[in-house]
Amino acid sequence: MRSQLIPTWCQCSFGVWTVVFGTMSILLFGVDTYAVAGDWTQFRGPNATGVSTDPEPLPTEFSTSQNLLFSHELGVGIACPVITNGKVITTAYSPEAGFVVYCHDAADGSEIWKTKFDIDHDALPKKIVPPNEHASSTPCTDGERVYIYFSAIGLLALDLNDGSQLWSYSLPMPYYLMDWGPATSPIVYEDMVIYCQDDDLDQYLIALDKKTGTLIWRTPRPEMLGGYAVPVLCTANGRTDIVTAGSGKMQGFDPATGEEIWSCNSLLRTTMSTPVVKGDKIYATSQSYGDAGRILKEALMEWKDTNQDKKLAKDELEKPFWPKFEKADTNGDGFLIQDEIDTAFQAPTNLVGGGNIIQCIQGGGTGDVTATHLLWNLDHKAPSNISSPLIVDGRMFVVKKSGISAAFDEVTGETIWMQKRIRNLGDYFASPIAGDGKIYVTGENGFMIVLKQGPELEILAKNDMEDTCIATPAISDGRIYVRTLKKLHCFAEGAGAGQ
Amino acid sequence: MTGFLSLLTVWSSLLFAADAPQIDIVIGPKSPELERHAARELSDQFAKLFDANVTVHTEVPANSAHLVLVGNPLSNPAVKKYAGDWPKLSDQGIVVKSFKGKDASGVIVGGGSPVATLWAAYELGYQFGVRYSLWVDIIPDTNPELKFSGYNIVREPVFPVRAWRTVNDFPIGFESWSAEDQQKLFAQLAKQKFNRILVSVYAWQPFVDFEAGGVKKSTAMLWYGEKYPVHRDTPGKVAFDGASQFENPDFAGKEGYEELTAAGIKHIRHVMASAHDLGMSVALQMSPLEFTSEFEKVIPGAKTSPSLNNVLIAPGEKQGLDDKALKKLVSAQIRAYIETYPNIDALYLTLPEFPEWEAHAEEAWNNLAKQHDLGDLTLESLTEAASERNVIASGERGRRAIRGNIAALAFLNGLLADGKLLKREDGKAVELVYAQLDPALYPIAEKILPKSSGMLNFVDYTARRVVENRELLKDVPAKKVPSQFIFTLADDNIGILPQIATKRIETIARDLVEQGWQGFTTRMWVPAYLDMTVHFLSRFSFDTTTTARSAHDEFFLALTEQQSSTDRLWMAFEKLEEATEIIDENDIGFAFPVPSLLMKHYQSDPVPEWWGTALNVYVEFLTELYRGGSNTAPHGYNYIFYYSKRSEFPLEYLTAVQAVREAAIAKKEGNIETAQEKIALAIESIFNCMDILSDIGHDQSDRAIIAILDAYAFRPLLEEQERLDEAAEAGEKQ
Repeated sequence: MRSQLIPTWCQCSFGVWTVVFGTMSILLFGVDTYAVAGDWTQFRGPNATGVSTDPEPLPTEFSTSQNLLFSHELGVGIACPVITNGKVITTAYSPEAGFVVYCHDAADGSEIWKTKFDIDHDALPKKIVPPNEHASSTPCTDGERVYIYFSAIGLLALDLNDGSQLWSYSLPMPYYLMDWGPATSPIVYEDMVIYCQDDDLDQYLIALDKKTGTLIWRTPRPEMLGGYAVPVLCTANGRTDIVTAGSGKMQGFDPATGEEIWSCNSLLRTTMSTPVVKGDKIYATSQSYGDAGRILKEALMEWKDTNQDKKLAKDELEKPFWPKFEKADTNGDGFLIQDEIDTAFQAPTNLVGGGNIIQCIQGGGTGDVTATHLLWNLDHKAPSNISSPLIVDGRMFVVKKSGISAAFDEVTGETIWMQKRIRNLGDYFASPIAGDGKIYVTGENGFMIVLKQGPELEILAKNDMEDTCIATPAISDGRIYVRTLKKLHCFAEGAGAGQ
Repeated sequence: MTGFLSLLTVWSSLLFAADAPQIDIVIGPKSPELERHAARELSDQFAKLFDANVTVHTEVPANSAHLVLVGNPLSNPAVKKYAGDWPKLSDQGIVVKSFKGKDASGVIVGGGSPVATLWAAYELGYQFGVRYSLWVDIIPDTNPELKFSGYNIVREPVFPVRAWRTVNDFPIGFESWSAEDQQKLFAQLAKQKFNRILVSVYAWQPFVDFEAGGVKKSTAMLWYGEKYPVHRDTPGKVAFDGASQFENPDFAGKEGYEELTAAGIKHIRHVMASAHDLGMSVALQMSPLEFTSEFEKVIPGAKTSPSLNNVLIAPGEKQGLDDKALKKLVSAQIRAYIETYPNIDALYLTLPEFPEWEAHAEEAWNNLAKQHDLGDLTLESLTEAASERNVIASGERGRRAIRGNIAALAFLNGLLADGKLLKREDGKAVELVYAQLDPALYPIAEKILPKSSGMLNFVDYTARRVVENRELLKDVPAKKVPSQFIFTLADDNIGILPQIATKRIETIARDLVEQGWQGFTTRMWVPAYLDMTVHFLSRFSFDTTTTARSAHDEFFLALTEQQSSTDRLWMAFEKLEEATEIIDENDIGFAFPVPSLLMKHYQSDPVPEWWGTALNVYVEFLTELYRGGSNTAPHGYNYIFYYSKRSEFPLEYLTAVQAVREAAIAKKEGNIETAQEKIALAIESIFNCMDILSDIGHDQSDRAIIAILDAYAFRPLLEEQERLDEAAEAGEKQ
């Protein structure tokens, strides 16, 4: 019950993808693009893996008085920092300050530019389940421009050099039946900005020309429910697909046209975590409240049928949902009952329920690959509903509420360990990241647990950020960037006590 | 581009401002400050409600489309001109009345005094859908119709005294709130027409300095001397914003008697000034027969008065009713308060909660009997009745209570007889109210209390217990002695757990009206869920047709704009009241905020069945809150979310309590592994409690619960976990 409500929005945005200059990531991540070593250009870094291959050492122990390179008070935000060309980009929003995009020097923390957008606060969604915030979507960058989503604006591009706005593309305000609020993040691929918006009203995947903001294609996703997975790229079988995880389905799309190439119908009702691509395989973990029989209708009848009369009345839903309501009210009696509710908001072709999954899917398929490309599928209660998995050193590492971790063999799915505590209680909204032989796990309570990469759970340090942490940190050039609820910290080995 | 967008925004807002409706407020040219404040408050509300341009005038502008006159015929000539027949009002009567003259029409917002005018202004906002909670105003998102016609509200309070008690004891209450915090709270209370702040203090607190019998007061502390450090690993510590310990901000960094007392006096003066600024009267409540331990030199053989950490003493057998040293000590203490706070309007003298001074009860009774005709009553019959009654002070405690009460009363009557002790420096007499007269003395209160004094009555700790003993209220001579009642909105014994008693309070309130009581004061510590109760008291005080349910509906319909949501929220609060009563009936001290808070449950008795019942009821409470909140209007969302999210806290707490008990049982059975598992579960649940409060807490009381849980639950559990780990390790080695 609680996980159904407290939660979900927040799979906020982690990262994007990587800038395109220098060395490769194809071998590591299977993506046919190039990235500058050291950059962390989207939600959760290179192709949303959370893995840094930088050779520089990363600090193990750090705090606001140890190994702190710099620190800035930004205001409230839960989007992840992104780093490119020596610049770190962050965002914040408050009714007083509006929506602000910051650019700081990644090495010394000096402010390079700051662009403020005056937002009509009344235009923003009034209902957002905490800890989601308005500044929740992680920007992405190609080293020339910064691409940002903000619900009241849509997508926009800023010049990385001076923060001036280059274009904007208006998008409809997303609505969520459970009031989770917007929090999805764009990525950039070749000359396109790719953005997936799975809400409960009008789901779509779009590609815009990254230079002009012109729409290249738009693919409706009517089978989806509210979700927050960031698109990833998978190169397999000689082609690169845009891969999205959503309600019940992992799908591959042609980047040139947006057409669906394949679908693996093995996911759950609600998908908030982002899949990870390693080589030509796609790894997904998900926890969706309830068992396999708990389709959306059950949640609606439990929480939205306010008077509990077993019927859903129109005024028990927000106005934007009324057209869907009317369409589903086949007998026109002003209520949704029985079968009408089943498919009012959830596609009849995709009536999936809840549960837990840990999966490995072979990329590069065509058509319905459920029977052919699902390499392994576990039903352990290990995954978080929000925090994404980490694939590193041949193992999948996951962490969930109360700091309970598990690890599985990347190839076989065999359990390496289960139910092991990382000695930090509380919620986990951020996803784990890895670099320099270490795994960094960020708790909502502000403690970052550092683990040794290895076949056994070994805790190296417990570092205090002294603030709530929702965003996934970033790694770049031997530095760790931590966006706490109000601040940005940068840590590096030997940095001292910071500025 | 960005600059252009900014420019466009400014231009739009200018255009918007030009389209905004104009509202004109007229005050008298010599209007008192509170009426000016009323005009400012109305301006602010109108701007938010109607996106209006509001101008305050001292003369009626020509051709005003939307006109509001503030004041009464004496304070505002415009009211005199347009009011027509002005109703006969007491100084607390309020008027919200539409008018239509030849050259102007609009609404008059006024009252029988400046503060009543202020209340009337807030009443108009209420009529437009604004709802006042204890911490925030909730303004409708959608502009209501801007229409000043159709109002004819004339109301007088049924309770002339509507007091809010502050300071008192324990960090979970206002003892931890800064004066600024309280100032904001008082502003919200003024909106709900509360008219008195009762500053309740204890002798050990740092609010007064005096000397008596050659001994200078040297004890000054908060929270009975308890400290609440914030550790590196304190769950939810972000709520403390980097502080190394939980403190009342007004006392941060203060050490030692002199520093603490100086800060304390400044704090209370600020609190009192804030109340006076809002037109409220200020009363100070103290226990004149309790002292800090250094004064034992003045009253040798003094007894320790029961309190946390034994920080109080009271007269002992050696002190007779005419003991000169005792009289000097009591007088010095009372005078110190009156002189330190020279603007107080009333002094409430508390007869001790645990009367220890009973040795001279016979003599005291004889004194009273000589002075007054007490009929057939005898001390023995009173003592017997007190012993057999069904309130918390019964049995031996009841016997001692009545005896100590009589001794204290006789002593104080003698001391206060000439009235000098209660004179302010400006020569005015401070209103005297006796607090906590024993219920057995109600029938003779008119005779034994000094003339012109009032009484503040406390029957039992919880509203449920009062209702069960409501026949006692009938004994109070409320029509002859001005009588106020203590409404326990939330009890400190039930403590940190969510609780409410609105329906029970409605029952008592109706009795009080019928019996002619003067009013009430509140008693509570954690405000969390008390908005509904306060709102009920506010509305009922001016309109006895109000019920707990109708007040709830008025409040939540304005927030949710959905009857179905409002219904669910009513069910939620019914469940909360049910949970409150389950705890009250079974173990009233279940979550009393003292060091034994959690670990008192670490004993191997079976798990009581009622714990499960309470947990289930709290689950229903949570379910209905989330369900009710899911369909609310946007402007009510954040407000209800605080309630919903906070409702997870008792679930976690009860889970922790049960785990602690099961750990103790397992430990006794020698099953250390299970004990370890259960303690780990308890730690996790307490962590979650603290985390939840940190996520949504918005006041010092919420922060205090985190601090208390850290000190009295989280840390003792960690220590026990370590002991169990050692025991397990030792067991493995054997």
